[in-house]
Amino acid sequence: MVKFVKVLPIAAKIGTVTIRYPYAKPIVTDSFRGAIEVDPSKCTGCGACTRICPPKALSLNIEGGTAILRYFVGRCIFCGMCADICPEKAIKITKEFELASEQVSDLYIDVEHEVVTCRKCGSKFVTSKLLNKVEQKLSEFSKELLSLCPRCRRVEMLSKQVYLR
Amino acid sequence: MEIQRQVPVEIFSRKDLEKALQRIKKSIWVFHLNTGSCNGCDIEIIDVLTPWFDVERFGIKLVASPRHADVVLLTGPITIKTFPRLVKALRAVPRPRLVLAIGSCAVGGNIWFNSYATLGGFPNVIDKLNELGIVIDKIVYVPGCPARPEAIIYGVAVMLGLVEQKTRYKKVKA
Amino acid sequence: MESLSTDNEFENLYSYLKKISNRFVEEEDHLRIVVENEKLREVAEVLSKTEGVFLRTIAASDERSVNGFYKMYYVFGLDRIHRNIVVEVPLDAENPVIPSIADIVKAADWYEREAHDLIGIKFSGRILHRFVLPDDWPENVYPLRKDYTVQDLVKLYRPEIIAKAREVEAEAAIIIPIGPYHPALHEPEYFELYVRGEKVVGARYVGFMVHRGIEKLAESMKYDQVPFLAERICGICGYVHSTSYCQAVEKALKIHVPERAEYIRSIVLEIERIHSHLLWLGVALHLLGYDTGFMHVWRIREQVMILAEMLTGSRKTYGLNIVGGVRRDIDRDKVNKCVKVLDSIAKEFKEFVEIAMSVPQVKSRLRGTGLLPRNEAASLSLVGPTVRGSGIPRDVRRDYPYAAYKYIDFKPVVRTECDNMARTEVRVEEVFQSIELVKNFLDRLPGGGIAVDSWEPEPYRFGIGAVEAPRGEVIHVIVTGRYSPYRWRVRAPTYQNLPAVPIMLRDVDLADAPITIASIDPCFSCTDRALIINIEKSDVRDVPLVALSLKGSRLLR
Repeated sequence: MVKFVKVLPIAAKIGTVTIRYPYAKPIVTDSFRGAIEVDPSKCTGCGACTRICPPKALSLNIEGGTAILRYFVGRCIFCGMCADICPEKAIKITKEFELASEQVSDLYIDVEHEVVTCRKCGSKFVTSKLLNKVEQKLSEFSKELLSLCPRCRRVEMLSKQVYLR
Repeated sequence: MEIQRQVPVEIFSRKDLEKALQRIKKSIWVFHLNTGSCNGCDIEIIDVLTPWFDVERFGIKLVASPRHADVVLLTGPITIKTFPRLVKALRAVPRPRLVLAIGSCAVGGNIWFNSYATLGGFPNVIDKLNELGIVIDKIVYVPGCPARPEAIIYGVAVMLGLVEQKTRYKKVKA
Repeated sequence: MESLSTDNEFENLYSYLKKISNRFVEEEDHLRIVVENEKLREVAEVLSKTEGVFLRTIAASDERSVNGFYKMYYVFGLDRIHRNIVVEVPLDAENPVIPSIADIVKAADWYEREAHDLIGIKFSGRILHRFVLPDDWPENVYPLRKDYTVQDLVKLYRPEIIAKAREVEAEAAIIIPIGPYHPALHEPEYFELYVRGEKVVGARYVGFMVHRGIEKLAESMKYDQVPFLAERICGICGYVHSTSYCQAVEKALKIHVPERAEYIRSIVLEIERIHSHLLWLGVALHLLGYDTGFMHVWRIREQVMILAEMLTGSRKTYGLNIVGGVRRDIDRDKVNKCVKVLDSIAKEFKEFVEIAMSVPQVKSRLRGTGLLPRNEAASLSLVGPTVRGSGIPRDVRRDYPYAAYKYIDFKPVVRTECDNMARTEVRVEEVFQSIELVKNFLDRLPGGGIAVDSWEPEPYRFGIGAVEAPRGEVIHVIVTGRYSPYRWRVRAPTYQNLPAVPIMLRDVDLADAPITIASIDPCFSCTDRALIINIEKSDVRDVPLVALSLKGSRLLR
């Protein structure tokens, strides 16, 4: 008849389940994915993360003499695809979620890279770290060619071939 | 690409605002405004009210009308269809008008920031609101997809000035 | 698998279809048949008259750049033999007109309106107006046509939002400007209820506030980015969307997902179902004025959320799926923890739900309200607990087995009372069923990899992916492109179920309207605010649904 009062013993037995956050620790499990952290010493500015990022929270722009890898945590969906794809393993997923901020501008993190200038046309095309890395990997490749932007390189290669003939 | 800082139009002076925040500190009435979100943040807001997080211990209470609200919990990227309703609801909120923009959608437009049907988050509509004569006195952005209940509680704490915000703009050299 | 055309009860249908057109393709899960414009109504007539055929989805696609046509895909499901019939109708590129079939197949109504709005297909025999898009959308611009990229559309459509906002504010009808918003949790969508005295005589749905242009966005994203987009269609049952998308792509490109990945997907799907049903039950109890129950259900539910985070890395929008598998593995330790948590949830929930269902106002408010007769449920091709509460055992897990459901014997939960109580009982029962399923899957979790190593996209393949979401069937239709999906059609369960609401609301008390609307679990809530139009006094009131519903509970006390 008054079966519904039986909920009282349950409540008594369970007691308080409330987590006393912010005075106590939050319930964050080991697998939780929070904001990412870019290790500036490892990052080469290749831009692989910016191409996979579903909401484009990561962007790579060359402005002035520098390339800026910009992470906008306000748009991040915390999927961790960037960390999976990063060839240098420079991106780490942290457990950080206390990101609240009064200014949107505080939600940006920029990683600044030096840029190489094409020795022929003067356009800026790649970060110097990435170029160094490629140079190491392709040691048999001529350094001359590598310091050219893709367009000039094509022209150079073709003219060389013509010359060889 | 210069990041612009938004300066709220000051009618409520900084001092007044602090005074007002001091006054509502122990009983904040919140109004939940969904502007086309996926429901993820919305269920986390309800989660905050239920036993495990129970924000009523801070005197936070969900109210049905924006006229009663101290803080507006705004979720969603603001779709074009909801914008007029958003304006209507925000105008009804008494000054100081405090907005907690919850989730990646409200903060940065999330995955739909460049869709034809959304306005791409709350920062993009502030000037439009100003044009309509609606001033927002304080905004706190809470990233997260969805923002976890703890993150929402933390956001409220930042709003009230109980804790210092942790994130700051950073520029590092590689 | 048995041959398609022989030895099955739909033999006549198959032979009829093959006579109608000789252009057909038979695939593992469907028969795709090209039908001429003039014959469509005849085919629809035959299909709708055949017992056991349901309309699953309709997709319109702009394929002018591929083959010079617009195309309509009508997907009919033959649940009993686990096959689909896809009727393909090519339409003229200059003047895409197709006969309307909404009068023959009732469920086609919304699909036609949407195709008209987004792709600009004209339906002879119907006059259609703006449906999904905003009112001030430019004439003759159809966002899903390939003429425009996402960037073009953003440039093309400069909404007069400020003027519009001023206009809405000037409306005098609603004095308290709350619009379609609600205190609890809900989405900005609302119903207009037409009442005579305290009885509801009609209802109209006013919605699509949350149109975010998802299908168009996907056309500019890479295959592996779309699952994350799909997941954000819905924050409550997002995983079903990403699974459904991945399955559609995998079907189209014939990618074989490792068995372990299939099991992990099923486990997470069922965990999502548990959380979603508990959420629904909590809010339903809240609507009925039994807030104690609401709090207890959400207390139990929180453990599921923590469990989900442990397994996937996020409390919601798990981000687990990619085409060809999953991203995170489940190790032994997690399996053990999972079983332990599930056992305790099962025990706690069982204890609680018995009490909750015995509470007088819960019982009397649910029983006998919101009747949805079996024949109407069938004719609207409804899905999920809504249809299972009306005695029709439709369930994708049994009818079109996917992921790990292929390997087990599955029986859907069915109730025949057709009322709100039946739908509630189906959900409660499914919570226990899901717990058992997860434990079963964890037990049988096979070894091996969790994703295929690599796969190559091939353009212009057709695939269907369907998943039983907590709310019913989610079905995605995909036409593949070179780097991104060429056309991706999403159909969520609420889309199919909402037309049933006016039927359920017929002659119910006003106070029972909220729980009746909520009983289809409209992803969730969608429903919150009702505009009440009294036919006799012709006055308009705008009230929160909860307030309406609580009035009913108070009368009972």
